[in-house]
Amino acid sequence: MKRDMEKKITIEDLIRLKKAERPPVEFWASFEAEIRSKQLSAIVNKRPWWHGLSRAAGVFNRHQLPFGAAAALAITWAGVHYYSASPAQAVGLAPAGSPEARIYAPAPVSLAPMAPAPVAENKVLVRSEVQTSTQAQVAASEAVVTATASHLTKAPADITLDSISKSPFADGIAVSLADYREPAADFTRQGAFGSDRDFETAVAPARQAASDPLARMDPAEERRQRLLAPALPAYSSGARRALASDWMKARSSSDERMYESMDHGSNDRTLVGFRF
Amino acid sequence: MNASKALEKTLVASPERKLEADADLDIVRKVQAGDVAAFDKLIVKYRERVLGIIYNMTSNREDAADLAQDAFIKAFQSINRFQGQASFFTWLYRIAVNSTVTHLRKNRLRSFFSLESVREDDPVSKELIDALTDKTGVGRDAFVRELQEKLNDAMQKLSINHRTVVTLFEIDGLSHQEIAEVMECSVGTVRSRLHYAKQLLQAELQPYLLK
Repeated sequence: MKRDMEKKITIEDLIRLKKAERPPVEFWASFEAEIRSKQLSAIVNKRPWWHGLSRAAGVFNRHQLPFGAAAALAITWAGVHYYSASPAQAVGLAPAGSPEARIYAPAPVSLAPMAPAPVAENKVLVRSEVQTSTQAQVAASEAVVTATASHLTKAPADITLDSISKSPFADGIAVSLADYREPAADFTRQGAFGSDRDFETAVAPARQAASDPLARMDPAEERRQRLLAPALPAYSSGARRALASDWMKARSSSDERMYESMDHGSNDRTLVGFRF
Repeated sequence: MNASKALEKTLVASPERKLEADADLDIVRKVQAGDVAAFDKLIVKYRERVLGIIYNMTSNREDAADLAQDAFIKAFQSINRFQGQASFFTWLYRIAVNSTVTHLRKNRLRSFFSLESVREDDPVSKELIDALTDKTGVGRDAFVRELQEKLNDAMQKLSINHRTVVTLFEIDGLSHQEIAEVMECSVGTVRSRLHYAKQLLQAELQPYLLK
C-alpha cells in the first residue's frame, strides 16, 4: 500500500512523527495539580544538607579525568617538594624563610672568619690563649656551616647582626654555645687531660723514686750493715730488720713493676714478654 | 539563501529564542525576588516541551510525567542559583535531561513502553500518516500503531546520549549550540552523535522509508 507512494519519506519525517505523540488535554489538569502539591511540599520541607554533597559528587563524576589528573599532579608536586626539602633538614638546617634559617643567614659570613660569634662575646669571657684558640676554631667551623646553610637555604642577604641578636633563637643558641665552651676551656686551662708526654714527665720520676730499690739504698751503707751485722748487735736487731723490711718493700715494688711491664694483651700464654 | 538560513538555524539559537530567553529572565527575577506564583507561568510555558523530551527519552508516559514534575520542582528549588548566564529554557532542559539520564541508568534493566496515542490533528503528522498509509483508511490505525512501536523500539536501541541528541534536535528543534549547552559537550560531539544516531535509525527503520 505504501510502497507505491511517490513522495520520498526520510528518517527525519519518521522521527517527526513522534511529535504527534502527545497526552490528552485533561492530562494537564492532573499534572498541574500534582506539581502544585509538590511545589508546596518543597517550600515547606527544606532540602537536607547532603543534597549539596550529592551534587558535588555529581560534578566530580562528570569530570573524573581532570580531577584525577589534578590530584596526580598535586601529589607529584608535593612529593618533589618534600624530597627536595628533606636534605637540608637532614643536616639540621631549617627551611628558607623560617626564623632558624635567619640565624644561619649570610650575615655571619660577612664577619671576620676567625672572630668569635658576636652574640657569644656578650656571654663568654676569654680567659686564656688556649680558650681563645678553641673559640677561634669553633667560630671557623661555624662560619663554614653557616656558609653551607646560606647556600642551601637561600636566606635573604639583608639580615643584619642586630636582627640576629634580637632573635630569641639567637639568644638560646648563644647560651647553649657558652655552656658548651666553658667546661672545655676549664679542662684545657687546668691541664688535667694534657698530652701523654707531659703526664710521663710529671708522674714517672716520683713513681720511679718510690719503687726502685737501688735508688733508695745507699750502696756503702748497705755494705757496712752487712759486714758489721755479726759484730754489732745494733745492726743485727732493729736496724737489720728495718733494712730487711725496706729490702722486702723494694722487692715487692720491683715485682709490681715487673708485673705491670708484662704483656697482658697476648693471647699466647706461653709467651710472656718482659720489658726493662 | 533559504538553505543557509536553515543551516544557521541548526547551528545557533534563533533570534526568537533570544527574545524568549529575555522574557524568561524577567520572570525568573520575579521568582527570585519572592513572587512564587510567577513560576507557574514558566511551568505552563515549558511543560509540554519538557514532557515531550522526557517521554521520547523514556518511551514511558507515567515515568515522563513524574520526571517532568521533578524537573520543575528542582528548578524551583534551585532558582536562586540561576544567574542568567545561560537562557532559562537551556537551564531547565539540562535539569530535565540530567534527571532523565539518572533515571534511565538506575532502571536500565526495567524498561517497558507506555505510549501516548498519535494525535492526527497536527497537519504535519496527518500528512505523513496519509503518505504512509492507504488514504481509504483500511488498516490505518494498526499501521500507525505498528510504526509507533517500531520508532520507539529503534529509539530505545540507541544509547542515552544519542537518543537525547536526536530528541532535542529532531523533535524539539534545538540548535547544535543549544544542545551542546544542555548536554555540556562540544558542538562537534553533538554533530557526530547526531550523525551516528541517524545512521542507526535508518538501518532500523529501512522498511518504512520510501525510495
